[in-house]
Amino acid sequence: MLVPLERILLALGALAVILLGVLITSNVIARAVFNTFIPDSVIMVRELMVAAILLPLAAATAQRAHVSVAFLSDQFSPRVRSWSIVAGSLFGMIALAPLFYKGSLELMKVIERGSFFSGDLDLPKWPGYLFFVLGIGAAWLRLAEVFVRDIRTISAGGTVSDEQQHAGDLLEEGRN
Amino acid sequence: MDPSTIGMVAFAAVLLLLALRIPIAFTLASVATVGAFLIYAFRGGSFAPERAIKPTSSMVFSNSYDLVHSYELSMIPLFVALGHIAYKADITTKIYHAAKVWLTKLPGGVAMASVMGCAGFSAITGSSIACASTMGKICTPEMLRMGYDPRLATASVAAGGTLGSLIPPSVLFIIYGIFTETSISSLFLAGILPGLLTLAGFLLVIAVWVFMRPEVAPSNDVRYTAKERWMAALDSWPAVLLFVVIIGGIYGGIFTATEAAAVCVVAATLIGFAQKNLTVIDLWDAVKETCVQTSSIFIIAACAKIFVAFIALTGVAPVIVQAVADADLSVVLLLVCIAVIYLALGMFLDPIGIMVLTLPLMIPLVESYDLNLIWFGVVVIKLLEIGLITPPVGLNVFVIANVVGREAPIDKIFAGITRFLSVDIIVLILIMSFPMISLLIPMAAR
Repeated sequence: MLVPLERILLALGALAVILLGVLITSNVIARAVFNTFIPDSVIMVRELMVAAILLPLAAATAQRAHVSVAFLSDQFSPRVRSWSIVAGSLFGMIALAPLFYKGSLELMKVIERGSFFSGDLDLPKWPGYLFFVLGIGAAWLRLAEVFVRDIRTISAGGTVSDEQQHAGDLLEEGRN
Repeated sequence: MDPSTIGMVAFAAVLLLLALRIPIAFTLASVATVGAFLIYAFRGGSFAPERAIKPTSSMVFSNSYDLVHSYELSMIPLFVALGHIAYKADITTKIYHAAKVWLTKLPGGVAMASVMGCAGFSAITGSSIACASTMGKICTPEMLRMGYDPRLATASVAAGGTLGSLIPPSVLFIIYGIFTETSISSLFLAGILPGLLTLAGFLLVIAVWVFMRPEVAPSNDVRYTAKERWMAALDSWPAVLLFVVIIGGIYGGIFTATEAAAVCVVAATLIGFAQKNLTVIDLWDAVKETCVQTSSIFIIAACAKIFVAFIALTGVAPVIVQAVADADLSVVLLLVCIAVIYLALGMFLDPIGIMVLTLPLMIPLVESYDLNLIWFGVVVIKLLEIGLITPPVGLNVFVIANVVGREAPIDKIFAGITRFLSVDIIVLILIMSFPMISLLIPMAAR
């Protein structure tokens, strides 16, 4: 169930990156050619940034793309290394839990209050918070899934590696 | 428990967890969250956890959300996307091809072309590792096929890849700019001369190496006509155009670095489509790769921002600044100490990790000495660049080793790297001794 969700979130993140490029370029052209600007483009870019960065976080987590220092742990036995990878998922859950908790509270707050950015278009504030909660929540779920699966693998006598890609290669999707 | 003690314990915990392979982002955020929770809970003398939940969650959320919810930082995904799109559209490979066609007659010409190709790639993208990985796939196998010594074939590309950090645009400069609140455009301009100096040094290393031992780079029989040479040069116009747009636009004040990134992404895409080198599927793949890469970069930066806020809460930085002030170090000694610390960390940690760990303490220290933060940024990036090729953990070396496989084991690559490292150290000393090398262009642009 997580893989389709991650694919959708990754696709939305990719769309946000494309929109970032198009929006900023359009604003530059509008300024240079027509001496005008796209209203609230800065706010839109900031909202798109949350989508572009955080929606693909679960996909990055599934690919174990988080940077870690392998120099010392490479000297450990494969079993000890496997446990340190499991610990990495646990620390990830600890790190993301307060972000998800507070992000959800803030999302509820801006929806209840109907908060909006002061600007020409009075754009609502909730999309950015929603992207944040969705991205962090999906990444937390993937960490929990990887955590449980890795413990099962180690308990069954196997070892885990952070070089393997557990959710399949989401990036290959476009070529299929 | 007083905040500075919690701060010191937190630093020790971060080092321990990093050594245990816990991802950098999760290490920083979890330690900062627990540390901030303890500080708030102990505030008032007694331990009251209920008092700590709200301020701790507010601190972690606002710091991470504000970092991601940023207009200026949209240049990071855009520059990363530019690199991927330019590669898929054959824009970056044409720079190498042009350099190869022009330099092939020179002894070690293909190695020189590889370094020039790396510089050209760096002028469009912002990542050293992406540069080493991409150019390593193209240049190193070709040099090995031509009978080049594996040490030269691999080390030239591993070293050339480090130019990605210094020649603008550079992701490391952007991250430095975020944490020091310095102008990213000025940092980009400040990196140009040191980058070119490093490039010239690398070319000199290859020339001297091949002159002393001609057998490391056998001459090849391939000859290009004048027409072929000019055609190759003309073919590389998209790369030149993108670089001119980035640097010319920023230098001329036509647009900001963020706008330059966006304009170049659109331009590279349109050029790729027009030349039929890029398909919609290629574009989609490039953007998805961008997303995964930037997501893992940003989560480190966001968690580091949380850690920085936590460090401010502990009051550790002023204590260290005071301790250094009491030691009455001269500027030269201070810089030597900083260089040693960064070079030592560079042997084990990746550049982004080093920067986010050290800057919260280094910047107050550097500011207390009234040093220019733009110039200091160039020094830091140069130090981090050196860390990418120093043993035992030279990331670029591992990237190249991964690309070439058994033909060039790690120890051979490191053996070749020592020559390039010596030039890097000389350039570093020059940058540290003559700040104008870095500051000339940003000052002229004002």
